[in-house]
Amino acid sequence: MMLWRLAWRGAWRNPRRTGIVLTAVAVGIAGCLVSMALNFGLVVQLVDTAIETELGHLQVHARGFHANPKLDRLLVDGGVEVDELLRGHASVRALAVRLRGEGLVSSSRASAGVRIVGIEPEREAEVSLLRRSLSSGDWLEPGERRVLIGEELARRLQVEAGSKLVLSVQDLSGELTGQAYRVGGLFKTPSRVIDQGSLFLPLAAGQSLLGVGDAVSEVVVVAADRREIPVLQASLRDALGEAVEVQTWQEMQPLLVYMVESMDAIAWVLYGAVFVAMAFGIANVLLMAVYERKREIGMLLALGLKRHQVMATILLESLAVTLLGIALGVAVAVLSVWGWRLVGGIDLSVFADGLSAYGIGTQLVPVLRPSDLVSPVVVGVVAAFLAGLWPAFRAVSALPAESLRHV
Amino acid sequence: MTREIRCVASGALAASILLAVSIAAAASARAELLPAPEDVDARTLARRAEGSLRSDRTYLAARMVIESPRLTAPRKVAFESWEDAPAKRSFIRIREPAKDAGTGFLKLHPNLWMYIPRVERTVRVPPSMMLQSWMGSDFTNDDLVRESSELDDYDHAVLGIETEPPGSPGRRAYVVDYIPHEEAPVVWGKIRAWIDIENGMPLAQDFFDEDGERLRELRFGDFRELDGRHVPHRWELTPLDKQGHKTLIELLEIEFDAPMKDDVFTKRNLKRNVKRRR
Amino acid sequence: MGLEWRLAWRNVWRNPRRTGLTVAATVFAVLLVILSVALSTGMHDKMVEDSVRVHSGHLTLAAPDYLEERSLEQSLQLDAALARELEATPEVRGWAPRVTSFALVSKQSESQGALVLGVDPEREKSVTTLAERVKRGRFVSGESREIVLGELLAQNLGVEIGDEVLLFGVAYSLESAYELFRVVGTLRLPEPQLERSLAVVSLVDAAEFFVMGDRVSEIALLAANAGRTQQLRAALSATLADRGILAHTWQEVMPELDVFILLDDAAMYLTLAILVVVVAFGILNTVLMAVLERKRELGVVLALGLRPGSVLRVVYLESLMLAAVGLAIGAALAIPIALYFQHNPVEVGGDFAELGKFFGFEMLILTRLETSNLVGSSLTILGVAAIAAFYPALKASRSRPVEALRSL
Repeated sequence: MMLWRLAWRGAWRNPRRTGIVLTAVAVGIAGCLVSMALNFGLVVQLVDTAIETELGHLQVHARGFHANPKLDRLLVDGGVEVDELLRGHASVRALAVRLRGEGLVSSSRASAGVRIVGIEPEREAEVSLLRRSLSSGDWLEPGERRVLIGEELARRLQVEAGSKLVLSVQDLSGELTGQAYRVGGLFKTPSRVIDQGSLFLPLAAGQSLLGVGDAVSEVVVVAADRREIPVLQASLRDALGEAVEVQTWQEMQPLLVYMVESMDAIAWVLYGAVFVAMAFGIANVLLMAVYERKREIGMLLALGLKRHQVMATILLESLAVTLLGIALGVAVAVLSVWGWRLVGGIDLSVFADGLSAYGIGTQLVPVLRPSDLVSPVVVGVVAAFLAGLWPAFRAVSALPAESLRHV
Repeated sequence: MTREIRCVASGALAASILLAVSIAAAASARAELLPAPEDVDARTLARRAEGSLRSDRTYLAARMVIESPRLTAPRKVAFESWEDAPAKRSFIRIREPAKDAGTGFLKLHPNLWMYIPRVERTVRVPPSMMLQSWMGSDFTNDDLVRESSELDDYDHAVLGIETEPPGSPGRRAYVVDYIPHEEAPVVWGKIRAWIDIENGMPLAQDFFDEDGERLRELRFGDFRELDGRHVPHRWELTPLDKQGHKTLIELLEIEFDAPMKDDVFTKRNLKRNVKRRR
Repeated sequence: MGLEWRLAWRNVWRNPRRTGLTVAATVFAVLLVILSVALSTGMHDKMVEDSVRVHSGHLTLAAPDYLEERSLEQSLQLDAALARELEATPEVRGWAPRVTSFALVSKQSESQGALVLGVDPEREKSVTTLAERVKRGRFVSGESREIVLGELLAQNLGVEIGDEVLLFGVAYSLESAYELFRVVGTLRLPEPQLERSLAVVSLVDAAEFFVMGDRVSEIALLAANAGRTQQLRAALSATLADRGILAHTWQEVMPELDVFILLDDAAMYLTLAILVVVVAFGILNTVLMAVLERKRELGVVLALGLRPGSVLRVVYLESLMLAAVGLAIGAALAIPIALYFQHNPVEVGGDFAELGKFFGFEMLILTRLETSNLVGSSLTILGVAAIAAFYPALKASRSRPVEALRSL
């Protein structure tokens, strides 16, 4: 199309000027995309870490457990019903049961209150990152009398892998009992809360210590795809009835949801601002171009080109430059994100203390989704269009004779 | 929000002391260690030592003196205790100080009840609270839970004969090491006991962690004859990893196989504030 | 010098439309920068304020190791002299002493472990919002033997308003402590774990119960605002050092809040930086075009003896003036808006706000304009303009008079 050719040539009439605008657009787009990627990367981390550390996607408990997590709020069948319901279910990636109790752990030097968690070593490794968090010692084997504690707790008790610990608990019947265990390994999870106060042991050992028979406290479910969670929740609720509560990770940790949403809020306003600034820049350049080429435009009009065609040319010019800038910006953004991901993300260990309270790891990995690319491109095109409107009008507002007089 | 938990049994206090006494080991390094005769059996020694301070029904009156950096002057608590070991029940009455006088503890396994005279209330103490320091002393929850038996949970080995056992310079004692079994619910790596050669009574105990570091010492003294036993009337427990802490128990009276009426071990008895025993 | 300034100014307005657009973009950027920073400052300050008013205050005074051990052993002495000093220090907006330790709460024969918090009701109100979390009944007054329980704790014990409960535990003196208290209210707390275990009594009662004398576990201080925490700490540092008391800032006690604000700010500054860069390109373009258009004029002027250094300065001045005009207008627009929302915050509604409220955060659009904001923004814009002018200025000063004249 001739108009395109005209527009293209017009754009490059002053390469330096066009180049600067191009760069501005590229920087704007790349900046926004990278910023979005970092922001989303943080959100993903927050959520993923919470889910992987302990929450899972869904948890099933006896009714009343969430309000008051006492030992007697048990799933008496040991989670078998849930297991059977979900076995082989396409939407379920992994499933495990846990027993939760409280007690006192003593070493020869110190004691501390702990949350006792009985786990199935094999299945737990699939639903949480506990196994990956081992920093010394070994993972648990069912049937052993070994426990896993956090590094912080180990420091407090002044023990290490291999040391002996005595666990004192009040079992289900109310009796105070104690058993000896060895520290099988130490872990460091992203969660300070777990590192300071949780002790893990094989499920059978926990069940016998707490005197609960075959019962468990919770079933943790990890879905294959997060979008399936509501469906899974609904079908579990239907099948299991009133005696049981089924909760999603959002319901169990509303604070997380709050944080995620509050971070998004201001971001969009600022991105909009960047596009407005870009639009100003583009408009400015186009106006200059239009003014310089008044004679040429006049000739075109005189030669029979319609007004709207001239306007279209100007708009196309705007579009061309913008699209080129966007393409460049997207390329830079994609490359940067990719490069960052290669080196493992940005190191935030300076903030480890605060981050571990949220359960976030210290490497911030940007995440750029293809869908993220859509809106900046669309907004960029719209901005280009709007930026080109006024110059386009100005271009044709001068009468042919007038233009010719500028010779 | 936990602090170091030191717990003392309720009625099990008496039992715990009796049990703890079954171990004695050489605390001071300067004394000599002579070889022990071949026929001395460590387990027999341990059983004798353990049994020397026990009976099925034991009555005792004692005064406990507690020293701590928190206190400007040592705290003194006088109490009486009745223990019925086979029925797993016991009763303790506090006599001094005046502020605590009349307080009663009733243990009917597995429950512990406490009576507070000033407010005239009886409350059930949840087991987690039993792990707290009893009246402020240094005894640990190991003593309370009593899942361990000095005889069954340990292997015993005689190391030799000590000519100057700690705290009892005139006596000669067997030095016996108690090594807990792997599954025994005991935090110690080792307990070293000094057992008097002549009368089989425990003289001293040292408690070690698994790395061999000595963490606390228990010393027995003031032995007096009673019912054919030499009973130490002075028990001193000193934690070695903290400064300025010590708990001393002085027996004022002790009776083995004492007759006890059932109505001693009732909630009603808690409220009665009986001044005299029986 | 005056000549250069006048030249620069004239050059700037040589093409009013072009300059106008660039100034408009600059105004827009300045407006956004000032308002974003003001909004972020205001909202983060509020967030910190809301958080510290839950319990910790901006500063927590405590004995060494208190935060780790939290036992009666780590207590500090609150004598008349210290109290007077705290009252007299202007940086202290409010101060609240507390005695806290563990005890058992029992109604009839059933008992539960509880965290006993002894507070001075009036002083506590000057620092925290604890008293506003009453669900049933009322908060403790100065009357003796009153107790307020977490709602879940009250439910678990089966306690009603007016019931008597027994508190018993171990005092600082290692004596047993027991006392009867009358339940006058219950509290709702965002953390269920805390609600299951908190019991609030008056400071006087707690001190007597735990035999603390004039010792307290901690003192929470409120500063004028979050930004003044360090000044508060400095004002008290001598006194605290003398007594061996440590002052923990809210950042130490709640590092997660600190990190959240840092991350939020980082994201904002990143985007603002992008915005400023985009505007900078606009300025670059404008100034460059202006220079290129005046090749001939520059040549003449240089031939006539104007030093290249002068030309350089003129171009720089043009750029700075452009930015300055944008800055002036932008600031003139931004300041009233920021000040308006500073004194008339607007409440935000919706689910999001409800959720925030539950955690104790009021959702407001609230700004705070600080001088550092204005100074920083100004320096940034002017600095950026100066950098943008570098290339055009260089080019202008290098113009060869001969070539320029040739293009005549």
